[in-house]
Amino acid sequence: METFDTKHFGRIAFEPADSIEFPRGLPGFEDRRRFVAIRQEPAAPLVFLQSLEDPGLCFITTPVLTVDPRYKLKLSEEDREAADLASVRRPRIGKDVWVLAVVTVRETGTTVNLLAPLVINVRSLRAVQAVMRDSAYSHQHVLRAPAEALCS
Amino acid sequence: MSRRAGETILIGDGIEIVIAHIGRSRVRVGIRAPRDMPVIARELKLVREENHAAAGARPVADWGGLVARLEAAPQVSACPTDKVIVRQEAAPKN
Repeated sequence: METFDTKHFGRIAFEPADSIEFPRGLPGFEDRRRFVAIRQEPAAPLVFLQSLEDPGLCFITTPVLTVDPRYKLKLSEEDREAADLASVRRPRIGKDVWVLAVVTVRETGTTVNLLAPLVINVRSLRAVQAVMRDSAYSHQHVLRAPAEALCS
Repeated sequence: MSRRAGETILIGDGIEIVIAHIGRSRVRVGIRAPRDMPVIARELKLVREENHAAAGARPVADWGGLVARLEAAPQVSACPTDKVIVRQEAAPKN
């Protein structure tokens, strides 16, 4: 087991083989390449993506299908290569890849980035934040409360 | 301005945009620009800014309101969290 002291979760322990590697980092955080996914029961299905290089860097994410059950994944060749998926033309969510959308909590409301989800190869745990091709997905998809959704 | 494949647009003295290929639904362009002028797709800038906004958020105690807005999780494993044993061994620091 490897341990790492984080700002928000205290000391965490994990198998090095279970860390997730973003070979290109994330846009805006290009030098942050190693992360672990943390789930805490009260917050399920949310997944916290904790950097293993910066104790204070942690993204709140949610499986993309929890926001849009019909989410369509459309990756560029370049992004497939970055996640070790060069030979998988149409990666399937949950089978070939895990797909997490980054959540932004602001005072004005909570949004989810559906334009560029985190795509993680389930076998190699290589990952990429991929901008969807030819899509109408928003980088600030508003999460509505269930009651609001019914009224619309 | 209308251009054909292979033709070029100039912006000032330093920037050259070549229409390299015109496909059915996308156009490939070549861009020559000074080194200090990064060339990126607009989406990438949005994603970069959004990541910075997202990274500023810190986990809070009550997730109920946020979780209530999500659909029932489908029956696929979401991510390797079930395998990764992440223990809280120390109290969170401020």
